[in-house]
Amino acid sequence: MATVALQNISKSFDDTQVLNNINLSIEDREFIVFVGPSGCGKTTLLRIIAGLEEASEGQIIIDGEDVSSAHPVDRGISMVFQSYALYPHLSVFENIAFPLRVAKVPEAELNQRVEHAANILQLTNRLQHKPGQLSGGQRQRVAIGRSIVRNPKVFLFDEPLSNLDAALRGDMRVELASLHQDLNATMIYVTHDQVEAMTMADKIVVINGGNVEQFGTPMELYHHPETQFVAGFIGQPNMNFISSTRTASTATNCSIKADGIGALTLPVSSCVGKEGDSLCLGIRPEDLSLTSSGQGFEMQVKVLERLGGSAIAYGTINSQVSGEQSFKAVLPGDVQVSPGQHIHLQVNPDKCHLFTSQGDAMHRLKAEV
Amino acid sequence: MQLLRRLMPRKGLHSTKFFAWALIAPAAAYMCLIVAWPLVETIRLSFTNSGLGIEDYVGFANYEKLLSSRKFPDTIGRTFYWMFLSVGLKLILGLIGASLLAANLKGKAAFRVLVMPPWIVPIAIGCIGWLWLYNGHFGILSGVLQNLGIIDGPFEFLAYKNSAFYSAIVTDVWIGTPMITIFLLAAIQNVPRDLYEAAYIDGASRWYRFRRITMPQIMPMFASMALLSAIWTFNSFEIIWILTEGGPRGGTTTLIVDTYKTAIANYKYGQGATRAVLIVAILAVFSLLYLWLVNKVNKKYGDEK
Repeated sequence: MATVALQNISKSFDDTQVLNNINLSIEDREFIVFVGPSGCGKTTLLRIIAGLEEASEGQIIIDGEDVSSAHPVDRGISMVFQSYALYPHLSVFENIAFPLRVAKVPEAELNQRVEHAANILQLTNRLQHKPGQLSGGQRQRVAIGRSIVRNPKVFLFDEPLSNLDAALRGDMRVELASLHQDLNATMIYVTHDQVEAMTMADKIVVINGGNVEQFGTPMELYHHPETQFVAGFIGQPNMNFISSTRTASTATNCSIKADGIGALTLPVSSCVGKEGDSLCLGIRPEDLSLTSSGQGFEMQVKVLERLGGSAIAYGTINSQVSGEQSFKAVLPGDVQVSPGQHIHLQVNPDKCHLFTSQGDAMHRLKAEV
Repeated sequence: MQLLRRLMPRKGLHSTKFFAWALIAPAAAYMCLIVAWPLVETIRLSFTNSGLGIEDYVGFANYEKLLSSRKFPDTIGRTFYWMFLSVGLKLILGLIGASLLAANLKGKAAFRVLVMPPWIVPIAIGCIGWLWLYNGHFGILSGVLQNLGIIDGPFEFLAYKNSAFYSAIVTDVWIGTPMITIFLLAAIQNVPRDLYEAAYIDGASRWYRFRRITMPQIMPMFASMALLSAIWTFNSFEIIWILTEGGPRGGTTTLIVDTYKTAIANYKYGQGATRAVLIVAILAVFSLLYLWLVNKVNKKYGDEK
């Protein structure tokens, strides 16, 4: 159906640069998620693809055709808004039919297409209602219905689930993913929620400060974050960062002394530099395990979140630099720990991440993927 | 405290009711004094021949006289024509003005302020300005028309029945449009931007967006402004009075002007009251129509259930 390519896209509002030279190439039928903290430019980038904003520089190419200055309809895109943007005075039927009415589609075909969309989204018995009478999830579906009746080449979603409660969000994630399989269309989805990104995306674009930090599959991002920002952003709960100093290194490993943890030797490549360089050790909370006292390193638990299957311990470890440093660990669900207690943890160096003081990751040689 | 405790609902339903009545009593008394009593008094007066020094009950004589008078159907017709023409123009101009002011252009704040003077300037002052404009000998309108060669000699706008009527309409529209513009502008600005963006993405043209999004969205406000403006225009007195005093030869006499002329200028309080009662009746019908209409509009265009 459609490939999307962004070439050297930059955007500035007055003096503020919000996007810097973005280059992306999106394959046909991919589900792409733009993720990043608020204000990083992800929504602006989506609006540029939609044609609601004009890029200051660069080209948008859909299906090999330069559409940088084309009208949204000619680009073959449709968009679902964060607020749904349903017309409150029109019935669900007319809301879904709106793009077809604009295009002056004949009545019979219009009825058939709206009903088809309503069928997919289970809205058939809601067609005569006004949006105000629907629940949040149903409104969301109407907004999606309005975007699918037009059979666009590319679907754009701007944080579509952020107004739903947590349970409904989980359901809609699954529905959207299965909709993507049914429609077989290219989809671009913006969110600030890394869980949505990880669960739905074929590929994730992590955006920070108007730059693409990394573009890759969820597992690539999880196991091989290229920067410290991506490492901290992807993964729930997020990664622990420990300041460290290099003690020795070879072509395939790097020995460090990590503040509050001790000496570790990590299997990473391209660890060039000299002894005493400051580095940053990254440990995912889920890669830690309990050990008996006298081994590993010590953590003081301050808060324990029990999730049933697992428990997340928030607390501190001793630090030579700042006295104590905050630290998180995922523990077994039935762990016998209470707040205030000290626990002993150990970590497999194969699973650790190492970053230079500039925040660039060193390539991990023993990662799972 | 003692008093309150005694009034508080302790003895069940009966005293709860008493307490409720006690709470609304001050407002009710106030309404009786300034609304109900004058209204009743007006209705009573309309059945008398009240004038300077006399006041006797005459039954329906005033009503019979009014309804059989030769001029009265003209006055009623003129009043409604005045109202429909003036309100129609105000709504159309107000809608155009509001749409233009809602556009995202440089210096829009300045334009918005510039719309307001006709509304802010005291009506009497504004009307005196228009008196000068309409003057045949030193008025600018007559002068410009003469210079352009459209008319041969001085034209006194307020001296002829038709021209006086339409001149008064122009002034009334000039005074009444800004408020409608500002209210409709507020309504237009309340329409979420997303709706326009969504429609734009779906390929809707500017006019299509106006027709299918802006108009329905501002319809409740539009209906309200239409009725309020209708009531004000129906009762618009000072503009006509300052410009023409209802003349020439009754050419600008609407019902309210007729009422004033009868009751105040000619001291026929009874006959004036008859006209006032008629106005109340007509406006009451109007208000009922309005409530029905607003209810319908809200059902159709509102976002409630």
